[in-house]
Formats: sequence, structure tokens, C-alpha cells
Amino acid sequence: MMNLGPLTIDLILCGLTFGVLSVDLALPHGRKRALGYLTAVLLAGLFVVSFFIDVSGSALSGAYQGDAWVLFFKRFALVAGVFVSLGAVDYVDRHFPTRQGEFWVLMLFTLLGMTLLPGARDLLLLIVCFELMGLPLVVLASFAKSEDKTGPGQFAPEAGLKLYLVSSVSTAITLYGVSIIYGLSGTTKLAELGGVGVSPMLFVGLAFALAGMGFKIGAVPFHMWVPDTYQGTSTPFVSFLSVAPKATGFAALAAVLILGFAHQKAAWAPLVLFVLVTSIFFGNLFALAQKDLKRLLAYSGIAQVGYMMIGLLTADAYGMGMLLFYIAGYLVTNMGAFLVLHAVAPNRSTITLDDVRGLSRRSPRLALALLLFLLSLAGIPFVVGFWAKLYVFMAAYRAGYTWLVLYGALMAIVALFYYLQIAKAAYMEEPTDAEPIRVDGSLDAVVMACMALVVVMGLYPSPFLQGAMAAARALFG
Amino acid sequence: MADLLNVIVYLPALGALLLASLPPLEHRNLKATAIAVTTLNFLLSLILWSAWSPAHAGFQFETNVGWIQSFGIRYHTGVDGLSFYLILLTTFLVPVTLLGAWNAVETRVREFVIAILVLESGMLGAFVALDLFLFYVFWEAMLIPMYFVIGVWGGQRRVYAAVKFFIFTMAGSLLMLIAILYVANVPTGWDFSWASAVSRNFDPTLQAWLFGAFMLAFAIKVPMFPVHTWLPDAHTEAPTAGSVILAGVLLKLGIYGFVRFAYPMFPQAAIAYAPIIGGLAVAGIIYGAVAAWVQPDMKKLVAYSSVSHLGFCVLGVAAVTVEGMTGAVYQCLAHGISTGGLFILVGVLYERRHTRLLSDYGGLARKVPVFATFLVFTALASAGLPTLSGFPGEFMILLGTFTAASPLDQIVNVPGLGGIRMAQVLTVLGATGVILAAVYLLWMVQKVLFGPLQDPANERIADLSVREIAVMLPLAALMIVLGLFPGIFLKGIEPSVQRLVTTVHQKAGQTYQADAGAKRLNWLPAGPGARPALQRPLRIDPNRLRLAPGRFDALRPEDIRRPPTP
Repeated sequence: MMNLGPLTIDLILCGLTFGVLSVDLALPHGRKRALGYLTAVLLAGLFVVSFFIDVSGSALSGAYQGDAWVLFFKRFALVAGVFVSLGAVDYVDRHFPTRQGEFWVLMLFTLLGMTLLPGARDLLLLIVCFELMGLPLVVLASFAKSEDKTGPGQFAPEAGLKLYLVSSVSTAITLYGVSIIYGLSGTTKLAELGGVGVSPMLFVGLAFALAGMGFKIGAVPFHMWVPDTYQGTSTPFVSFLSVAPKATGFAALAAVLILGFAHQKAAWAPLVLFVLVTSIFFGNLFALAQKDLKRLLAYSGIAQVGYMMIGLLTADAYGMGMLLFYIAGYLVTNMGAFLVLHAVAPNRSTITLDDVRGLSRRSPRLALALLLFLLSLAGIPFVVGFWAKLYVFMAAYRAGYTWLVLYGALMAIVALFYYLQIAKAAYMEEPTDAEPIRVDGSLDAVVMACMALVVVMGLYPSPFLQGAMAAARALFG
Repeated sequence: MADLLNVIVYLPALGALLLASLPPLEHRNLKATAIAVTTLNFLLSLILWSAWSPAHAGFQFETNVGWIQSFGIRYHTGVDGLSFYLILLTTFLVPVTLLGAWNAVETRVREFVIAILVLESGMLGAFVALDLFLFYVFWEAMLIPMYFVIGVWGGQRRVYAAVKFFIFTMAGSLLMLIAILYVANVPTGWDFSWASAVSRNFDPTLQAWLFGAFMLAFAIKVPMFPVHTWLPDAHTEAPTAGSVILAGVLLKLGIYGFVRFAYPMFPQAAIAYAPIIGGLAVAGIIYGAVAAWVQPDMKKLVAYSSVSHLGFCVLGVAAVTVEGMTGAVYQCLAHGISTGGLFILVGVLYERRHTRLLSDYGGLARKVPVFATFLVFTALASAGLPTLSGFPGEFMILLGTFTAASPLDQIVNVPGLGGIRMAQVLTVLGATGVILAAVYLLWMVQKVLFGPLQDPANERIADLSVREIAVMLPLAALMIVLGLFPGIFLKGIEPSVQRLVTTVHQKAGQTYQADAGAKRLNWLPAGPGARPALQRPLRIDPNRLRLAPGRFDALRPEDIRRPPTP
């Protein structure tokens, strides 16, 4: 019998997806809000279950691998899924009351792609998983009422189309790169790629493969879709889109670069270095000029990706552990920040500084949450983002990239300007609309959970860090 | 007693939590609660003082437990003579300030007192931290509440001032973080402890870079000329309580950073660059004083006076002598009390007339005699009148700068002038700062209190209330105590400073003789046995320092290079 142990979580998730689909058929109109809660509960349950089952080992004749590294990403996707379901349930219920089932099923499918991918040890399986994740995201991004010409969905088709075009082009580029790699090595198994000698052709193949993944994580120079898509799509979905696919993209990058081409680091390190330096630079620079907060956070996310890539650049267990910690901190921080924006303007997809102006008067709790998220993004002590930045800097030091630490720190000062601009508007300016903000209960709960995690991970990072380090060590065997 | 120290550090933060969780309260009750918490904290620190042994040069009341073990980050706290009195100053100033600003803040009072309490915890934490990392964390933690204090409750241009304050400080501290990481990156892993950082010897070139990074962070905080530009804005726009805490304690953290971290960790660089630091300090003294003189705005005047007074502290530190450094720490205390008092008095006027312009006042002495008495008294203390608090510190600093034991005592060739004795020139120029201080402070006193009473609005101005007198009385008393009985504090400061100065000189490969009257340069290389800690040969190139020939007849390059180890 085939050993499907490493795929247990994914198989259960697949089953749950069809379960939600059937429940959707059975639920009458007007009661479909329950689907969002159901999704959240099922994902949370699966997250708990993931602590009690053994998913280590190898499956599908070595094409699939389960270990602590893979499990980290699976859990990460599940947590992101729980947060987004609770954060978006009210939005989905109000705007697409009859099509909630489709929304949640698509969400579960994209999550399935995310849980599957990190374990893929074959280039083709990797790309299939990428598409399983990517296509539902496109549909979710363009989710809007067809009659909706002025509402929050007015730009959603455009956003979805951009995501679709970029996504398909990037897949094509990746495939092209993979075909070159296959031509050189004669195999698609990651474990067998290591024997390829460093050659100009390998450089080309890697460059193409990396370009495709660069699109997914939204790194410069493949970032053009990010701000447009974020701006046009519904905010709760952006909270998910800005975090979860990035983690999966990093899992894919780590699989190709570290499992496949660890010995050819000389060929890919300059590419990674170029991408991360330009991402940090242009992300921060463009964020400075943004008036739309979702675009601002989009550019800040581009810069954050650059910082995360420092972990990848070091290509050792130490650096990858730091990368995982960074992504985990980024999950709670960035999702929280977007969800606060959503709570402030639940019926619009365009959110500007005017919306958060005087937020501390309108909702002290949301203002405090937003402040903590911004401080975390900026990397100020006592919140998780500080440790995240610090740890990647430490990893860079260890790997000998002292100048990169200096560069990263200087760019972090630039980032302060725009993060402070939001905090300033929220706390130091008078509201344009003094009405207190009413927040949907489950959305409020997610924001508070994110805030609590940002603080807890900020005050006591040790256990989380150790978890991340253990996961990273698994990647290196 | 170590526990008591930790309680003192976290009590304000706990008070802030308490205030945050209380149901809606009247403003009076919120302020009263905050004052009660901080007063209790002050009383606790007095208890700590009774257990404190001043003659002990090392750390007392230490706590040392693991925090983030995998990175060698420990929760290590303790106090010595350098930090202890600054802690007392902090716990004393905060309740006094809150009482002084009773009426100054009427909006969002709960947030205001929470910010002040968190700020107090941050400052105290930075003073007690003996782990580089812990220090950095507290150092940054002070930033956010202060940012809000300026930005939310400040004056007209508060947001600009707050952002400028934040960016300046953050820029400096990020560079410091990089240097901290560099220092902590030891071959066996990470080690952030202060003790191990101080016990190591870095290559002189490396030292220069690391010292530069630390110095920049601290110099911005002090603030030293020419990175002082955030201070006048921040001070002027901050509410009274913010200004008092900023001037009273926050700036001192810069000086404290010099003496606790930058100097003992990078002694060779500290001594090699002493002339530059001393020169900038004197530039700050004179620039700050002249700038203060021409300010039409009282608060700005006091702000620039801080630039000048803190210049003295930097000069004392740069001298690396026991007198100079003791004077610097003492001047920190004195300046905290007197400038705090000045800011409170300016705030009193502002609350009554809503203007800070000198030209709007005049002739107040007859209308508000009690206020006038306190203003004259505080101004004189700030100007360094003997018998008042400003005098002993400045005197010791100038003395310590003048002595031959200082690395400032070199002959520098100035084109056109020939060789000049740096220490003497710096001392003379620094001393003019004392005169200038008298000029601008008395100028302010004269403009506000004396002359004809022109503005009719000043006719109805009220004198100090009982509350305000209650605030000013302890400050005035301390100005006298600090002026007449400096020994109370000096006996605790000196042993630690002595230890620090000896360490710095020893690690830099010199013997330091505290004999200030020595005519000859005592700054001589010791025999190999006297400096076992020095790992690498000391490279001092007399040509680069532009020393005049003949002056160092006893000192030749081959003397400085450490003899090869057998």
C-alpha cells in the first residue's frame, strides 16, 4: 500500500473542502453565513490535529516529503486560513450573500495548494501545486457583484485580471526555466539536481525559474501587479493575499535553491542579492509617495519581502530559521494591519489616510492595534517585527554580509517615515468623521488575536524562535 | 534589594496597566493615581538609597537571568555610581512633573499619564540594563511614549517636532544596534553582556567605527553639536511635562551611554578622538549659549541652554579624568533639577498667558513676587552661581579638562598660531560658556520680571498657587543641597568613575595618575606588566595627532608599541 502519511493533513483538507461544498448545497439562502464560520472552525480543528499526527516521511516515490519544515508551512497556511475566514465572513455575507459557498471553497482550494507545495520534492509537482494555489486566488481576487459598479468590487475584475495575467506569465516563465534545468540535469527530482555544474545555461534556467517565483512573492522587479491588485481587491482578501502566498513562494524558493542547488550557490546568490536589494530599496521608496493605504502597505510588503530574502541568501539553517520567524511575525502583523483597515472602511476597497485620521477618537482599540502593527512592521522593540528584523540581521552578520545589515537598517529608517505617517494620522489628527466605528464581532476577534500575538511574540520570542529554528534544521536534514 | 530595583523599574509600567484597565475616571483622579504611583516609586528608590553603599565601585543590586538564551541575551540589571543618582533623579522628577503639569493637559488625560508612566519605566530600564541588548530595547522603548507626548499634547508644530525627534533618535539608535550586533558576534555564538563587551579589546581601526556608531546614537540623544537640531523643536513643542522629562532625564541617557558603554568598550578610540569630541562639546557650549541669547521664545531659550549645559557634560566625559567625568555625572543631576524647574516656571507663565514670547512679558516681579523669586533662584542655579546646584559640576568639569592627565592635554599645531595647548584652550572657551549662561539667563529674567509693566493682560496675572509652590519648593531645596553639599552625591559617584577612568586608560595602554597637579604629562606608556589586557599593539602615530616635537620628549613611537611577548 502507498504511504500517504506525509499527505494526511492535505487529504483531510481536501475532504473538508468537499464537505463545505456539500453543506453549501444543503443550506438555504440567508443562512449561508454559517459557511464562513464552518470553514474557520474546520481549519482551526485541522490546525490542532496537526499537533497530534505524524506526517514525517516520504511519499509518492520520493516526490513528496513530510518533515518539520513542511509542517511549519502547513500550519502557517491553516492559521492564515482561520484568520481570513473570521476576518472576511461578515464582508462575504454582506456582499455576496448567495455565493458564499463558492468563496469559501475556493479559499480552501488555494489553502490546499499552500499546504501541499512545501512538501513537493519534484519540480513538476511544485509547479502543479503553485497553480492549485494560484488559480483560485485569481478568482477570489476578482470576486464581485456583476451589477456592482460603484461598490467595493468595482475594481475587482481589473485586479483579478492583472493577477491572472501576471500569474500565468510567471508560471510560463518558471516552466521555461525548469525545462532548461531539466535539459541540463535530465531529472525533475530536486534531490538529484545537485550534480549539475555551474554553467551560463544553468544561470539562465535559474534566473527564469526564480523570476516566476519572484512574481508570486512580489519582489522587485516582478512587483508591478502587487499595488494594483491590493488596491482593487476586497481588503479582507488582501490581508490573506499579502501574506500566505508569500510564505508559499518562499517555500518554493527554498526547495529549488537549497534542496536543489545548494552547491551552485555561486550561480544564484547574485540573483537573490540583486532582487532583495532592489526590493528593499524600491519598496520603501515607492511606499513613501503613496496616498492609498493599501498601496502603501503593498509597497511596504515588497520591502519586507526583501528583508525576508536575506534569510534565503545565507542559505544555512540559521538564516532559514530567521526567515521562518520573520514570515510568522509578518503573518500576524500584516494580516492584522489590513484587517484594521478593513474594519475602518468595511464598504470600500479604496482606503486613504482620511479613513484612519483620528482613529484613536473613533475606536481606541483599533487605533492601538494599528499602532502596534505599524511598529511591528517598522521593527520597534517589544513587538514581533523588531525581532524579525533583528534576527535576519544577525543571520546576515553570521554569513558575512555586514554591509547588508547597514543597508537594511538605513532603509528601515526610510520606512519609518511612512509608517509614522499612518500612526500620526490615527493619533495626532482630528477625525473627519467622528462617528464611533462598529466592528463585526469575528473581525474584531481576529484583530485582537493578531494584536495579542504581535505583543506576545514581541515580549517572549524564544519559543517561537526555537520552533522556527527546529523547522529550518529539518530542511537541512 | 535587587528585587526592589526591578520593582522600581516596572512599577510605573504596572501603574500604566492599572490606569488603562480602570473604568472611566475623572481627570483629577487619573492624575492623582499617576502621581501616587510615581511618588510611591520615588519612596521605594529612597529605600533603595538607604541600602546602597556609596563606597562600592562595582555594581549593586544585580539581577542576572536568562532571557533569550539561544542568542546569549540575558536579563541583567544592576546599578553603580554612574547610574544610581540618575535613577533617583528620574523617580523624583516624574511625580514632580506630573504635579507641575496638573492643569497643562486637559485632553486625553488617561493616555497622557499612561505615556508618562511607560516612559518612566523605559528610562529606568535603560539606566539599569547591563546587557547591551536589554539596554537597546529600553532605549527604543522610551521613544514611542515620548513621540506621542510631543505629538499629541504638544504645541502648534507638534507633529513636525515629534516626527523629527523620532527619526533623529531612531537613525542614531539603528546604527548603535548594528554596532551592538557586531560587538556581540563572538566566535562562540552571541554574547550581549556588558561585562564581556568591556573586557574585550577590539582592533583600533574597528574601535573607531564602533565607537563612532555608539557615539552617534548617544550624541543625538545628548544632543551634541551639530546633531542637536531636533532638540529646540522637540522642547518647544512638547507640553511642559514632556519638556521637563526630556531635559531632565532623556538627554542624560546620552551622557550615561557615553560613560557606561562607548568609553569603556572602545577606550583607544575614545582617547584618540578626545580632541574632536572635546572640540564639538565646546562648540556646543558656545553655540547653545549664543543661540539661547537671541531667542525671542522663552522655551526655546531654555532648550538652547540645555544644548550648552549638556556640552559641559560632554566636555567632562571627553577629558577622561576622574574630575571631569564625576563633574559630568554631577552636572547631569544639577541640570535635571534646574532646567526642569525652568521649564515648569515657563509652563506656569504659558498656562496663564498662552504665550512664550519674552516680549509679551515684563515687569512681572511686582505682580507675582513668589514666581519671581523662584525664577531668579532657578536661573541662578542654572547659570552656575557658586553655592547653587550648577556650580560644582561645571567647576569639576573645567578642572578635569585642564589637568595634565587628560588626553585633551596635547599640543596641537594650528597653522598660523603655532602649537597651542588644547586642554587649556578648551577650558578657557568652555568657561566663557559659564559667563554666557549668566548673560542669557539674566537677560530672560530681566525681560520677564523687570522693566515697566506694559501689557495690560499681565496686570491680572496670578501668582503661583499652592500646588505650584509645592512643586517648586523641593526643586529649590535640591538646588541648594546640590550646591552646598555636593559630597552627598559625589561620594557615591566617584568610586565608580574612578574605576571607569582607570579601566579606560589601562585598556588604552596608559597609566592614569589622578594627580591633577602634575605638571608633566602623566600619559605615559606603562611597562608590559601593567597592561595585561591589551591584546594588540597600540598604534598611536604622533604625526597624525600633529603633536609638536619636543613636547613628548619622553614618548617615542617605539615606546607606544607593545614589546613583543616573550
